[in-house]
Amino acid sequence: MEETVGPSEMIVHLGPQHPMMPGPFRLNAKLRGETVVDSEVDLGWIHKGIEKILENKTYLQGITIVDRICYLEALTNEEAYVGCVEKLAGIEVPERAQYIRVIVEELSRIQSHLLGMGEYASFVGFVSMFMYTIRDREDVLTLLDSVTGARITHSFLRFGGVKDDLPEGFKDDVKYVFGNLRKAIDSYEDQYSSDSIYKARTVGIGVLTADVAKDMGVSGPPLRATGVDFDIRKDEPYLVYDDLDFKVCTHRDGDVYARIQVRLDEMRESMHIIEQCLDQIPSGPIFPENTPYGKRSPVMRIPAGEVFHRVESPRGEMGFYMVSDGSEKPHRVKIRGPVYPTLQTLPPLLKGVNVADIVAIAGSMDTCTSEADR
Amino acid sequence: MDAESMIASLTDRFPDDVYDADIESAIRTAAKVKPENVVDVCRYLKEELSFGHLCCEFGVDYPDRNEIEVIYMLGSYEHPVILTMKALLSRDEPEIESVVPVYWNANWYERETYELYGVKYLNHPDLKPLVLPIEMLGEWPLRKDYKGFPNKTAKNLV
Repeated sequence: MEETVGPSEMIVHLGPQHPMMPGPFRLNAKLRGETVVDSEVDLGWIHKGIEKILENKTYLQGITIVDRICYLEALTNEEAYVGCVEKLAGIEVPERAQYIRVIVEELSRIQSHLLGMGEYASFVGFVSMFMYTIRDREDVLTLLDSVTGARITHSFLRFGGVKDDLPEGFKDDVKYVFGNLRKAIDSYEDQYSSDSIYKARTVGIGVLTADVAKDMGVSGPPLRATGVDFDIRKDEPYLVYDDLDFKVCTHRDGDVYARIQVRLDEMRESMHIIEQCLDQIPSGPIFPENTPYGKRSPVMRIPAGEVFHRVESPRGEMGFYMVSDGSEKPHRVKIRGPVYPTLQTLPPLLKGVNVADIVAIAGSMDTCTSEADR
Repeated sequence: MDAESMIASLTDRFPDDVYDADIESAIRTAAKVKPENVVDVCRYLKEELSFGHLCCEFGVDYPDRNEIEVIYMLGSYEHPVILTMKALLSRDEPEIESVVPVYWNANWYERETYELYGVKYLNHPDLKPLVLPIEMLGEWPLRKDYKGFPNKTAKNLV
């Protein structure tokens, strides 16, 4: 963006502290009247140097660090990290542990979508929706808490398994919570689709077409809202997603409204996945036997090699590239987060929109600055 | 088109520029590319072999070989194959052509690789730091011989 401003133009800084995002990030928008002429994203306000930290921690310590990339997708981050080490070391995960992983990761997808959708609703002036979603999210977090022992940063996955088995009576708890959640999601959808003011602010706003989204490397709900059925769980199945029956939720329009609709559908689909898992889950060990690596071995040497493992996080394609040199610490870990390309699409997407729509468009992307900065 | 025929097509088209091509599994392939012609190779991969999705682009430092590897993870929305393409650069003066004209989202990845490793991208539209403060430019913190970690924090900068 050029710093010089023409007649009747001005530059407005949104952020670094702005309710539009969970996490500091700055958007410099050049306005002419109320129209955005040009804009620029400024990152780095929450750069934690996680890639460098991981190079200086043992593999087991790394699990706790990758949680902190973004607390909303802690479990899928762990899955990508742990999956890399498992591929490098050739560790087989027992089937029961795989099912437990799918259950907690889908629960984490539900809670992430609930928070993202609620926050976004408050940006477009629908503050009561935020109260509804945060209430229902608490029930999901309680379920996650009962399995993993923590509400947000779980450190639950281990190389080859999981930390704990499912608690007693978990299936009944899930049945109870999902009964309420299904009704709640129906009511959200009803409120979104029946509110004319809400629709006026979202339908046809911030339209991303399929070709442009692909060109920009977008993944996750913003891409699926344009009609592309790209989902790592289907395209490159990991864990037991191959044995589960679920569909990839897509929408045609690619606007703000469609992105929210995709998230609503995905929450229903995640509940469907969890219920299947609870029906199909076999009994057995949750940690592999006959492996050279113990459940909590603080120092483990991983064979030298390079691997790229990607999973579908709530926001899209999360991938870890790991280079091991045979020592107890990784040589290099690259974190490919889904938010990074999504944030990059904002400047072209915001060109020509009304200034009041900036927060609606940026909020509907459900980006997490903490993950983009790492 | 499966992984084997993709790699065969790539090495046929660029016999001099692409070397060490390898098929690790049905969905993972690897190749090395000469830094001078990385843009042509990327354009061919995107247009002919439908590798339209740049998963990421980043550097890896090898001080003992005095090399920095720039790795392009190329995926696709049409097929599940991923190509790990590496370009080997000298550690003393790493320079490579920017692939932004082919992959639009390489812009930020290249800015980040520049500030963390010092890889200079030629013909990049806007090569400036992305996540680090401008004062740290020239320190290349993700190189293995960086001494500032973990004591050099933002507090010490001001």
